Amino acid sequence: MLALEVIRGLRMVAAPESLDAVRWGEDAVVLRFAADDAFAVGASDIDLADDYAIIADESAFVGAWLNDDELDARVVPHIEWPLPDVRPDLAQGFIAGVPAKLWLTEGRTLLLCPAAYAHELSERLR
Amino acid sequence: MTDANRIVVDGRPIPYEDGDSVAVAVLRAGAHPQHGGTICLAGDCGNCAAVVDGVAYMRTCQTRASPGLVVNRHPAGGEPELPVVETMTASRIRVRREQADLVVIGAGDSGAAAVEDAERQGRTVTMLDARRGMEVVAVYAGPTIIVRMPTGMLHINARDVVVATGAAELHPVCPGNSLIGLVTAGAAQELHAAGVDLGVAVAVGSAPSGVPCTPLPGRLLRIEGERRATGVVMTDEDGDEERFTACDTVVLGLGRSPRDLLSRMSGELPVTVVGSAADAFPLPAPPTTGTVCPCSRVSVEDLQGVWDRGFRELELVKRASLVGTGTCQGSVCLPYVRAFIADRTGEIPDPFTARPASRQITLGEAAADVHIDAFRRTPLHDEHVALGARMDRFGGWWRPWDYGDHIAEYWAVRRAVSLGDVSTLGKLVVSGPDAVEFLERLYPTTVADIRVGRARYALLLNERGHLMDDGMICREGESRFVLTFTSAGAGHAEMWMRDWVETWGLRVHVLDRTMSLAAINVTGPMAGELLRRVGLTTQPRFLQHVRADVAGVPCHVMRLSFTGEMSFELHHSVDRSLDLWRSLMAHGRDLGIAPHGLQALQALRLEKGNVIVGMDSELDSTPRRLGMDWAVKMEKPDFIGRSALARTAQLPDDRRLTGLTMPGTAPIEGSPIWFDQQVIGHVASSFTSPVLGHAVMLGWLKRTPFPDRVEVDGRPASVVRPPFYDPEGTRARA
Repeated sequence: MLALEVIRGLRMVAAPESLDAVRWGEDAVVLRFAADDAFAVGASDIDLADDYAIIADESAFVGAWLNDDELDARVVPHIEWPLPDVRPDLAQGFIAGVPAKLWLTEGRTLLLCPAAYAHELSERLR
Repeated sequence: MTDANRIVVDGRPIPYEDGDSVAVAVLRAGAHPQHGGTICLAGDCGNCAAVVDGVAYMRTCQTRASPGLVVNRHPAGGEPELPVVETMTASRIRVRREQADLVVIGAGDSGAAAVEDAERQGRTVTMLDARRGMEVVAVYAGPTIIVRMPTGMLHINARDVVVATGAAELHPVCPGNSLIGLVTAGAAQELHAAGVDLGVAVAVGSAPSGVPCTPLPGRLLRIEGERRATGVVMTDEDGDEERFTACDTVVLGLGRSPRDLLSRMSGELPVTVVGSAADAFPLPAPPTTGTVCPCSRVSVEDLQGVWDRGFRELELVKRASLVGTGTCQGSVCLPYVRAFIADRTGEIPDPFTARPASRQITLGEAAADVHIDAFRRTPLHDEHVALGARMDRFGGWWRPWDYGDHIAEYWAVRRAVSLGDVSTLGKLVVSGPDAVEFLERLYPTTVADIRVGRARYALLLNERGHLMDDGMICREGESRFVLTFTSAGAGHAEMWMRDWVETWGLRVHVLDRTMSLAAINVTGPMAGELLRRVGLTTQPRFLQHVRADVAGVPCHVMRLSFTGEMSFELHHSVDRSLDLWRSLMAHGRDLGIAPHGLQALQALRLEKGNVIVGMDSELDSTPRRLGMDWAVKMEKPDFIGRSALARTAQLPDDRRLTGLTMPGTAPIEGSPIWFDQQVIGHVASSFTSPVLGHAVMLGWLKRTPFPDRVEVDGRPASVVRPPFYDPEGTRARA
């Protein structure tokens, strides 16, 4: 069964231009779920120019880093939508019928889903 | 031929030659399809369909013969028997998924030309053709092409699709068109090339080149014979003279029609149709007698009967007569039905809608790799199971129904303290300079006067004033709110809110925290004491909320009550939920703490008359019908549903959700409510209240004047105004 670990980060909903302007730091992985919605892993001291931004600690995602072979073997057969051609890029949709996300980079991919679905996704990607 | 080249047809071994389809092998052996009809060998009709290796409705002309293949012809006068499945031994059908640049469906001349053209442009082409074992059965949005192969299913997501499926040969509509011994011109060529003896053959219409047959001039009147054709009767154009010609095989060159089932199925998708599939062939002459639709056995006389009853549009004729709904999905009959209508109206109707699947696929193939809905688990799922909970699915989540004794759980809430996992509640954060304006427009209650740190119950209405959901509005700051929704309604509520933010152009941020935050409801007269033990010494009063650490876990503590007892909802990060739950359980042991499941919760809230959206409410329930006018502030200038409520307030009050009580045990939910020997409503929720000692119900009365006494389950019941328990609400506010 696929081992999914909790991925902790910071969830920010803010004006898109304010998120665009943030300097996240070199080691941060920043997933833009939407123009106004970002999930940042490994980011700190974030200066967000939006007084009304919603910023919250987020521990409700689980995920696993996969190499390309693992991605092709375990995940791709369960996807009905096209993967993006460019890297890095975020893809979101159903994987084996479970809402999930893929952060695709050169050579490895972060598979991410809400913890509430972790059991279903692990079972279905066995 | 080798000894291995044999298939088994109706229990009899039949040889075949390399490259034969099953249909060709069967015809070569003289074993025609039992129900007769024209053979096209092109996959267009269902006349050669048979049970192949246990799968019915297989087009044998599209099935390559292979050693040991077991074929059972469909019976002459009916459908193949349904398989009897005693044990589930079917192997799992695999689905392969591919992304493709360009998919070309059809390997004929136009398909090959499309491939050549695309490759010249540097495109990558995937060619699909039934005769190559890749049978396209559906085109869905995407476009996604569903292909049946001998090895399983193939789902291709294509950038572009070219349909080059060519044209189908027309079948005859006349008396005798279901006899054995009829072949299209194309099929005759193929059979001749395969060395199949056609006997004495005559050609009606265009004679195929290279096939020994006698062309018959004139117009086809009928085909004669008992079970198989023995001759053809033709006439001249005036119909003055009938000529009979004896034969073994009738070769039919009657014209063509576009093979456009897949292109019609594609609708607005990026699909290009090329070659004959895109051509507008002339319709055949309108049929006058005989079977039009061999699959559904619809005759011209049947069509006329439908027509005479007033069904004058193609889609209606189809529905009323079932023409075109059978195995071939109209490939054979559609040109004739269009001609039939054109003859009577003077206008040629467009073809009827084509829907997946174009071919008969098995349930296993249709369901291959289809996943059932994924149900969410709260972070306490395993803990509930360890505590003996019976888990069930509600509102998209697995939730504890009970922990073995829902009455004991009920009493823990009423007399001591209990924990409920309410992590499934919708939880949305709203922030922005226009947050108040947004919520004022969204909700029928007033929002601007909710003070920071206070909460208010609110209904969520649609434009028609019907209840969609309910929950709490908690004000955290001047421009920041936390909203709660029901477990089942949270997803829709979020979409609803985002739509309105965009529509109104307001400066509001929305973040759905439903799956990010867990929530535990601490409820019961000892709830305050328990929370004091775990560090919540300054406790919010009823309808207040605070941020505080509880048992070392940062929580958003909301003082509400759904159960009717003192209640605190502790919203917290999902990764701390187990710690918090166990700490509360440990500190409450001597207080008589026990967790409660949904069954107990539904009973507790019913005693308070609290409505569950979707269980007690109906799709068109207004606040007035629910007896919840108090939650609507019509003096507000506007909110979603206001104009509808203002209008419907002028209409008679003809439907009402009300409380009901009766001695003894509660009738089952859904029981009819009787008055004056007529059913005037039904019971929405019911429970035999331990604390009250009688049955309590919420039920719909749908006939005015509303009576005070009714009958349910053969017993008298009183119509009362809820709540049934603690009507002053002193326990919740304690």
